[in-house]
Amino acid sequence: MKKIIALLFVFQLIFCSLMAQSLPPVDKSPMDMSYYPVNYPVLKIQDKATEPLAARVVYSRPQKAGRTIFGGLVKYGEVWRMGANEATEIEFFKPVKIDGKKVAKGRYSLFAIVNENSWTMILNKDTDTWGSFKYDAKKDLLRTTVPVQKTDSPLESLVIGFEKSATGCNLLVAWDTVKIALPISL
Amino acid sequence: MRLTSCFLASCFLLFSCRNGKEDNTPVADSLKTKDSPVVSRTERPAANPYATVDVSPMDMIYYPVDYPKLKMTHTASQPPMARVIYSRPHLQGRHIFHEVLKYDEPWRLGANEATELMLYKEAMIQDKKIKAGRYTLYCIPHKENWTVAINATIDTWGLEPDSTRDVARFVVPVKQTQNNLEYFTMVFEQDKQSANLLMAWDDVEVRLPFRF
Repeated sequence: MKKIIALLFVFQLIFCSLMAQSLPPVDKSPMDMSYYPVNYPVLKIQDKATEPLAARVVYSRPQKAGRTIFGGLVKYGEVWRMGANEATEIEFFKPVKIDGKKVAKGRYSLFAIVNENSWTMILNKDTDTWGSFKYDAKKDLLRTTVPVQKTDSPLESLVIGFEKSATGCNLLVAWDTVKIALPISL
Repeated sequence: MRLTSCFLASCFLLFSCRNGKEDNTPVADSLKTKDSPVVSRTERPAANPYATVDVSPMDMIYYPVDYPKLKMTHTASQPPMARVIYSRPHLQGRHIFHEVLKYDEPWRLGANEATELMLYKEAMIQDKKIKAGRYTLYCIPHKENWTVAINATIDTWGLEPDSTRDVARFVVPVKQTQNNLEYFTMVFEQDKQSANLLMAWDDVEVRLPFRF
């Protein structure tokens, strides 16, 4: 009897794991979302939003996991998808300006070419794609270079978010001991 | 140096606001719902001062299924038609009914931000035409069926959906399964010429049919 129960248990385990495999597992690099105004959805339900919705980033968050990130995992001078899995997406809900260039409202993919002291930020018109594996420079809307800043302690997970600035907001990207700020005029 | 510390401090302040997500700030406390985690959030090895990784991670699904990968491999035979962005709460030893969800009470079909459905083109959902655009999704689970609602309030937090902004409601049957799915899971399934939006958690599944 005990054997039968044990066998049934094993079958059930196998069955469950098979079932579980047929549906997508939780990603190793979980997706996340950032808004400007910062935390807009929460402000919205609390009726505390004082500025209209301007921008949103949807990205996945790889982890450092003991690795050297910049100059190691992310090679200097190469296009990096600034995320994981699906290409990192930025959506503007109104026309904005980046580095003096007009950017129409809409969805874009974000990439970066990382160097030791500066990053070239790339806004690309090809959306709904995977990573930067088929990155096509011909679909770039703009490129702009921003300086690298160092953080005090290493960040385990990549983070992308926004902060308010005098002329609108900055897109912040930080991972490991590096961070950058991309100014966006609203 | 002073500037740097000012910058860091302001970053910290700004991002700590954002931690309303599954965090233990006062904002988050007021937002905690029945699908909030029962364990405390931790991140190894050091806390992220900007934005903690969510206990209920976000995920994204497309129709055609896996569209971004098809696009990357140049095997996409049609343009994207639908996308859902949702967060994935997990059971953590609880049973979906009634330890996480209650029958007849609205549920945001996810966690954190309201679950978003984007239609790239007009779709027939069950028997109703829904225009292209972004919507939020929520449901009202019952024992035998779920009511799934498409709502016009977008870019919002998932709590307290405003039913006066519902665009359409659909009743779909519940299927009891032998599964014990830890994470809430949404996926588009190909079904002949149409698609089903599968919503599955624990031992319960519902499917909402889409045609494009």
